[in-house]
Formats: sequence, C-alpha cells, structure tokens
Amino acid sequence: MIRRLSIVIALVSFGLVFASLVAGYAERQSPRPLAEGYIRLVPQELGAANVVTGILLTYRAFDTLGEVAVLFMVAASVGLVLGGERPPRGVRSEVRPDAARPSSEIVQTGTQILVPLISIFAAYIIMNGHLTAGGGFQGGAVIASGVLLVLLAYPQYQPDLEFLGITESVAGALFVLAGIAGLIVADGFLDNRILPLGQFGAFFSAGAIPVLSALLGIKVGCELSVILERFRP
Amino acid sequence: MTDLIGSVLVLLGAIFHFSAGLGMLRMPDVYTRMQAGTKASTLGNTLVLTGLAIHHPGWSFKLLIIVYFVLMTNPVSSHALARAAHAIRIPMAGDTGIDALRDAQQRVGNGA
Repeated sequence: MIRRLSIVIALVSFGLVFASLVAGYAERQSPRPLAEGYIRLVPQELGAANVVTGILLTYRAFDTLGEVAVLFMVAASVGLVLGGERPPRGVRSEVRPDAARPSSEIVQTGTQILVPLISIFAAYIIMNGHLTAGGGFQGGAVIASGVLLVLLAYPQYQPDLEFLGITESVAGALFVLAGIAGLIVADGFLDNRILPLGQFGAFFSAGAIPVLSALLGIKVGCELSVILERFRP
Repeated sequence: MTDLIGSVLVLLGAIFHFSAGLGMLRMPDVYTRMQAGTKASTLGNTLVLTGLAIHHPGWSFKLLIIVYFVLMTNPVSSHALARAAHAIRIPMAGDTGIDALRDAQQRVGNGA
C-alpha cells in the first residue's frame, strides 16, 4: 500500500515538473545572437556545410581534443582494471580453453554479410561529417559496433590489441600535429584552413575538417574496440 | 493515386506493428513472443518503408538499403536470442508439444 502510494506520488510529482516545463516552452522564432553568428561564420570562414562539425572541429576543437583524451583515459583505465592476465601471444590462433560455445551458422553468416555494410556506413558517416550530420565520433562508434558484432559471433577471435593501440596513438599524434600546423600556417591551434577550403558543399572541401574527422574516427573506433575487447570474459 | 497506395501500405505496416506489440503482451512464453515480435515487425517495417518509397520515389534506393538491413538483422538477432534462451533452458509454455532443437541436439549426441 505504502509502496503504491509512493509510486503514485513520484509519478504525479514527475508529471508536475514536466508539465511546467512543457507549459513554459515557447519555440524561438529566430536563433539567438550566438547561434546566428555561428550560422553566418561557419560556411563563410570555414567552408563547412554542417555548422555543428565546423564548430566541433575548429572553433571548439580544443574541447574535442579534451573529449578524445577523456576517452583515451577511460580505455587506459579499463585496461588497467580489467586487463589481468592475457593468454600469451603465441596461442592466439588456437581455441582458448575457456572459450564460449561457438555461435550458430546463421549468426556467423549474418555477421559476414553485415560487417562490410557496417564498415562502409561508418566510413560514409566519417567522411561526410562536414556536409551532413555525422563525423568522427559517431563513425567511430559505428566501427566499434561492427567490432562488437564480430566479437559476439566469433568468441575465439582475438583482435590485435597492439596494432589497435599503435593505430590509435598515430591517429592522435597526427591530430595534434594538424593542430600545431594550424598554429604555424593559419590563425591558431586546430584551425582548419591549413588546407584549401575548396568549393562549398563538395566532398573535398572545408579545409582540414575531413582529415581531422577521419583521424578522430580511427582513434575513437580503436579506443572503443579496445574497451569492448577488455570487457570480454 | 500513388499517394493513396503509399498511405495504405504504411497503414498496413502500422497494423502489423500493432499486432507485434499485441503479440508481445499476449503470447504465453519467450519463444512465441519472440516469433510474434520478429515476424510481424519485419513485415511491418518492410511495408512502411515500401509505402514511403511510393510516396517519395527519390528515396527508393536508400529505403531499399534500410529494408535489406532490417531483413538481414531482425531474423538473425532474434534467432540468436531464441537460441540463447533455449540454451539456458527457459521453460516453454505448458501446452508446447514439440521441441525440435532439443530433439536434433539429442540425435547429434547419440550419433557421436
């Protein structure tokens, strides 16, 4: 009785809070001055059709670098906590003694068909970040979902953690180097105008933003894959 | 006319989605719920997307890719879920008569 009563009270109070939010909401007819500035400046200065990516990878690129660093710390600490004893490198090709039950043929065939599709979709998201919704982070997450599918379908498969680590480090270092190149050639750290802006809306346009997106996508995909591999029993 | 056909297809798809939801609520055990959800929602998705393709012929190719993706993923994932449920011996509804997977596994076990 008391439990039901408290549930009802909680629901009613949530309802009141959300009702006041809904009642107080009025759609703005025009963007705020800051948003207006970004909407005007991003296509004009950076040549990026997607304003959000322009902000994320140039005006707020330092924040993006911080987010990538946070993800790197997460991957490193997950490895520290869950790493434990790995089987030695020599036995990678053999079946591990504690390997899970193999997945059925249907799942394995489905995985073989789906993983290329997922990879193509990830590449599309990453490389069109400056034109449509998407970008490095999102595409990297899609890559990691493909890796998760492979890990689920083939329990014996072990990704090469060393290769993933090196790829990720190289991508991160190139990202920072591109930022420093912005300091030297263009107006500041992680300025995208180190490459020609190109024609607005074309595939190769918006200066360094596609390159930075690709580096981010590689880095995020590798980091998330390492985290997934670490969480496997 | 094409608008009408497209709308009817979308409505049909919505009806199948509704029956999927109804099946999830009304079916007696995991396996029957799973087949209700999977079959009806796969067909429902296909019908809704076909209706959209008739409405907007320009989107056809992208919608075809989405239909292909749904047709590939939905049955495979529910197959994996149902097999996992069977492997950890989630009980079936009381009046289930046949367990073909158990029979097949026993046959393999006896043969070896």
